[in-house]
Amino acid sequence: MIDVKDLVVSYGTATALEHVTLAVRGGEMVALLGPNGAGKSTLANTLAGLLKPSSGTVDAGGRVALIPEGRQLFPDLTVADNLALGGWRSGQRDPSLVYDLLPRLAELAGRRAGVLSGGEQQMVAFGRAMMSRPDVLVVDELSLGLAPNVTADLAAHLAALNAEQGLTVLLIEQNARLAFELCRRAYVLESGRLVTEGECAVLADDPRVASAYLGGAIT
Amino acid sequence: MSAFLTYLLNGLAVGCAIALIASGLVAIHRVTGVVNFAQGTFAVVAGLCTSSLLGLGFPHGLSELAAVLAAAVAGLLTGLAAIGKRGTTPLSALIVTLGAGVLAYAVEIVLWGDQPRSAPGLAGSVTVAGARIQTQHLLVIGVTAATFVLLALFFGRTYLGKALTACASNPYAARVVGIDVRKMGLLAFTLGGLLGGIAGVLVTPLRPISFDTDVTLIVNGFAAAVFGALTRPVITLIGALLLGVAETMAAGYGYGSHQLEVALGLMLVVMIVQASRRSAISLEST
Amino acid sequence: MIRLVAGLLIAAVTLALPAVLDDSALAVYILLGLAAMVTVGVSLLMGYAGQVSLGQGAFYAIGAYTAALLALNGVPPLAGLVAAPVVAALSALVIGTPLLRLRGHHLAFATLAMQLILLSLAGQLEFTGGDIGLQAIPQFSIGSFEATGAATYAYLTWAGLALVMLVTRNVITSRPGRALRALATSETAAASSGIPVGRYKLVVFALSAAFAGLAGGIYCFYTGYVAPGSFPVLISIQYIVMAVVGGLGTIWGAVVGASAITLLLQALNTLGALPGMPTYAPSVLSYAVYALVLIVVVLFLPQGLLPAVTDRLSRKRQSTPVETR
Repeated sequence: MIDVKDLVVSYGTATALEHVTLAVRGGEMVALLGPNGAGKSTLANTLAGLLKPSSGTVDAGGRVALIPEGRQLFPDLTVADNLALGGWRSGQRDPSLVYDLLPRLAELAGRRAGVLSGGEQQMVAFGRAMMSRPDVLVVDELSLGLAPNVTADLAAHLAALNAEQGLTVLLIEQNARLAFELCRRAYVLESGRLVTEGECAVLADDPRVASAYLGGAIT
Repeated sequence: MSAFLTYLLNGLAVGCAIALIASGLVAIHRVTGVVNFAQGTFAVVAGLCTSSLLGLGFPHGLSELAAVLAAAVAGLLTGLAAIGKRGTTPLSALIVTLGAGVLAYAVEIVLWGDQPRSAPGLAGSVTVAGARIQTQHLLVIGVTAATFVLLALFFGRTYLGKALTACASNPYAARVVGIDVRKMGLLAFTLGGLLGGIAGVLVTPLRPISFDTDVTLIVNGFAAAVFGALTRPVITLIGALLLGVAETMAAGYGYGSHQLEVALGLMLVVMIVQASRRSAISLEST
Repeated sequence: MIRLVAGLLIAAVTLALPAVLDDSALAVYILLGLAAMVTVGVSLLMGYAGQVSLGQGAFYAIGAYTAALLALNGVPPLAGLVAAPVVAALSALVIGTPLLRLRGHHLAFATLAMQLILLSLAGQLEFTGGDIGLQAIPQFSIGSFEATGAATYAYLTWAGLALVMLVTRNVITSRPGRALRALATSETAAASSGIPVGRYKLVVFALSAAFAGLAGGIYCFYTGYVAPGSFPVLISIQYIVMAVVGGLGTIWGAVVGASAITLLLQALNTLGALPGMPTYAPSVLSYAVYALVLIVVVLFLPQGLLPAVTDRLSRKRQSTPVETR
């Protein structure tokens, strides 16, 4: 579904991604790990079509929705309006579609998005992405800044969508523990290059990965 | 007392015209971050168009509508120049709109000459509580009120209006959901042209308009928009009405030649107070 | 070596021109020099302090009125000419103290407002002669030497321009000048590195006002009268066009920009005045060209004409960012 070949993305003279090649099959849920500044968000934005590759190709064979890092809601608009605007590409303007999926959003519908808690905002961002009826969902830092139980709740929704509706998911995370729990396969990105990839079970035993992503640094 | 009431209502009418121009500035600034120096030009274009169309024998209503549409097209063209090219910074875009305004001078002089032109409006006057008020003034107030209600409905109730607000609220997020921010910017410029055009059509019967009237209009509009920090439409409306009343009172009570200074002085004070408050806040936050 | 030769060549041509030009050509030559003087200041202000002034014509007017009023009241013209930039700079200090708290489009509008207020006042006050302005200003003189011919004013103008350019060069190459460069790119960064941002901005503002004031002073002696109508808002926009065309923050760029625009307008005026052209042709042509030049340069040659050309010559090309918007 996602097919990235030899991708290079640069900002002016600085190169953010160097010759990245990765693939996610339809219905698969794959993790992308890496420290801050590794180029993870650059990859997310390129997949979503917001950045142009300097060279190489990105093929997502369907509609891509992005849950961007830091939620990025429209703080002045209500939850219902945020969701409705999520349907800009699909023409789906009635948010009841995601109320079935995430009933909590129906309760928040009339609130201004800017005043919600972090977890609620992440849920709105989740719902907004689903409003575009995506084939592929790119989630940039699902767990960042959220309490573990909130993260677990969102992760459960994500896993259900993947399992039941066959939604293809690329989960970009610093929290490797969460990523390994949800995904069977993972890529590791460092300084703009893929350094390793493989089954999560194998990666978790790799001492380098374990020390970098499963050590004390995990939030 | 009746003189006071006359000045007040006349002032409100003047303020309404300023409010329409200022709301165009705010709409464009919110969505694009650009202050549109050509905002007064849109009013001039519409005013001159009306006077020509009426002069050619076209009926009222149709003439005004066509003039407002012409101003909207002028708005779109200005927007294309100002934000059509990728990577134009807001300050560069301001200078481009300045250029667009000067370019309009050339076009306007060719089409209409350099003498002021007027257009017939609603004739007659009504007496309210002993004060005589020109019917045209009432028309200005009524149309402005209706326009602001429609604007509020557009931004608050329609999908497109919400998309515009979204671009103002978080441009990056707007791109994430697939909104073309540049197209929305062009839409905002068109809307700005429309609002400027309505102002021009309403004002031309009250005071003749010539190609260079745009400077007075834009300065007054900017002064009003500054009240609302260039982002808040309701405070902008209040600012515009205050400005209109203050200027008309100044003129009415014998300080007519100082009208412009009143507006400009007020604008400077508001901007400086806002700026010093901003720097005080940023000092606290660091 | 090449620079020295080029400099000497330019100086020689500049000095030789007044001797060979006729009076109408000299008028253009003088106005060109005066415009260049103001533009150097605008370019310094925009390029080094990152501020847009839409009211530089106000300081031009202040200089002109100062020199004119002093000369009309019996003060020796030389003293008047010295006072013109001083009064303009002092006004800039007074006005700039509150105004320079503003940035970007706020400052642009504030300076425009300043010029409109000043023009309106000059048109109403008695001692400035109202809308008619001040007439019969004596010729410029030093001691018993009186400047009667246009050639003398041409030399005076270009001497003034040389002075302005020299001062600007010294400011740019000084240590504060290099700090100012940082100011134009990022005010916050400059402030956090300990540069007294506010004071430097004010100094540049006053300096640019002084240049405009000096030009105004020479202008009033040359034309013999000043009136509010001599300083329309458009004149301030004209200086911005010239500065932008030449390339912001470059001294020679400002001179090139002022020359290019002045000569272009002159050519258009001649063209517009040809028999068979409508009466509005000169003003329409100049408005249209002003506007198009401004828009095209801002959008497509943001560095200005001179840096664009010199860059092309020295083959210094920067790679362009690929981020889409």
